[in-house]
Amino acid sequence: MTGGLQRRYARTALLFITPALVFFALFFYLPIGNVLATSTMTGVRADQFVGLGNFSRALADPAVRHSFLVTVGFTLGVTVGAVVLGLALALLLNQNLRGRVLFRALLLVPYLTSVVVVGLMWRNILNPNFGILNRLLGSLGLPAQNWLTESPLLTLIGVQLWSQTGYVMVIFLAGLQGIPQMFHEAALIDGAGAWRRFRHVTLPLLAPTTVFVSIMAVIGGLQMFGLPYLITEGGPAGATNLSILHVYRAAFDERNFGYASAMSFLLLLVIVAVTVVQLRAGKKKEVTL
Amino acid sequence: MRLPARLAGYTVLVAVGLVALFPLLYMVSLSLQTQAETMQGTPVLWPAEPQWQNYSTIFDKAPFGQFILNSLIVAGTISLAHVLLDPLVGYAFAKFRFPFKETLFVAVLGTMMIPFFIRMIPLYVTMANLGWLDTYQGLITPFLMDAFGIFLCRQFIQPIPDDLLHAARIDGASELRVYAQVILPQLKPALAVLALFTFVHQWNEFLWPLVATSTQEMRTVPVGLTLFAQEEFILWHLTAAGAVVLFIPTAVLFLFSQRYFVRGITLTGLK
Repeated sequence: MTGGLQRRYARTALLFITPALVFFALFFYLPIGNVLATSTMTGVRADQFVGLGNFSRALADPAVRHSFLVTVGFTLGVTVGAVVLGLALALLLNQNLRGRVLFRALLLVPYLTSVVVVGLMWRNILNPNFGILNRLLGSLGLPAQNWLTESPLLTLIGVQLWSQTGYVMVIFLAGLQGIPQMFHEAALIDGAGAWRRFRHVTLPLLAPTTVFVSIMAVIGGLQMFGLPYLITEGGPAGATNLSILHVYRAAFDERNFGYASAMSFLLLLVIVAVTVVQLRAGKKKEVTL
Repeated sequence: MRLPARLAGYTVLVAVGLVALFPLLYMVSLSLQTQAETMQGTPVLWPAEPQWQNYSTIFDKAPFGQFILNSLIVAGTISLAHVLLDPLVGYAFAKFRFPFKETLFVAVLGTMMIPFFIRMIPLYVTMANLGWLDTYQGLITPFLMDAFGIFLCRQFIQPIPDDLLHAARIDGASELRVYAQVILPQLKPALAVLALFTFVHQWNEFLWPLVATSTQEMRTVPVGLTLFAQEEFILWHLTAAGAVVLFIPTAVLFLFSQRYFVRGITLTGLK
């Protein structure tokens, strides 16, 4: 290829991608800079400079700490639950069962349901006075529960698992189907039982999928807004006051954009750090074929 | 699998299937109940007499038609934009050599790792300054392109043989024509996945429309739904009817293109 032609191709390509680059710069990268800039300001118009004041205030604020702990609890519960349940269901659907395509589809429906529908419907179902869940438990001879007052965070984790497990299962299923049959056969010939084949063949070869799924679950958990906003409104007594809800209220109810920006930037740092750790851990566990 | 194991397997699947579907079926029941039925101490599984008029009441009590129109405009425009804009960028990254290509590609993909909440406040401030709060452009612009679509298209374009492109060029086709006549036809399945995913995602989107709109006329369905659910008192029968209306388009799309959804999810798992 001549140099002139190559330059022409390069020009064409740059022409094709420039709008995208401008878009991503303006709507993704610039906002990060803006958040940092706003986080040094205070006041309803975010026009008084306070330096790192918002950050030191956020780090010392017990409400922020509590909200962060609640978020970590929620995220841990959702991540562990999604991996365990998603993998278990994927293993089951990976068997030669009739109607597995139908079940795979069925379990995906909650994932495609808007968080607003999920939140409002579960809020109704879990209600202690007129919710259907306690009535169903009663007809099975089980005691009624005060879901949203006695174990609100656990309940929200359950609702999030209801909506996300199908998605995780489909990804695990694709991962399982990507493991070459010969590994199972080789282990079988070596006399490995079902548990050992799972432990020493399936699980290590599935490690990249598990890492991906857990990264997605962690990011989804740390970003959760809809469920606590719609079901518990952060309560009772802040028990489900997840970080993004806290940021949202600081920004849009209290009009404290500077403080809210500082909190959201801190949360971004947490997400980046956790993702990096997860990727590292995944690298170590990865088995090269 | 032996028979007992098989039976146990089916039992688990049926139980899980019931748990997955029950809240949605119950939502339909709730949407057909009277207000009294929704509030009574012993909730009913199915109303004594289905109240179909609940579905027309939501249109009387709130501008529900306007909500639907807004959602269609916003989700439709964004999906169309993704399908029109993402492939060209994916094509450039798949088939061209240019300076800083790797760096720029990483910069584009990196946007997938930027969570929405970090963009929320600055976007709100920007839109306020532009006077774009409570407008369609305010709802649409921040989502016009996405890295996932670009990545998806690039993955589908890479395996297309270069010789095919060169042959078209030798025949005198312009670059845009090569793109339109050689690349695009090969991208149909990818674009179907992209359009479906984008539409469902945007149709369901809650946080940005909640932040970026404040008048009834500009609310989308998910935000509008919360109107029946304000303060202490929630009109559950109407909320449920609205929720069914919000859920139906997704359900219909999923029913007819289940394979594309599964494929799309599997593809996200491969990135």
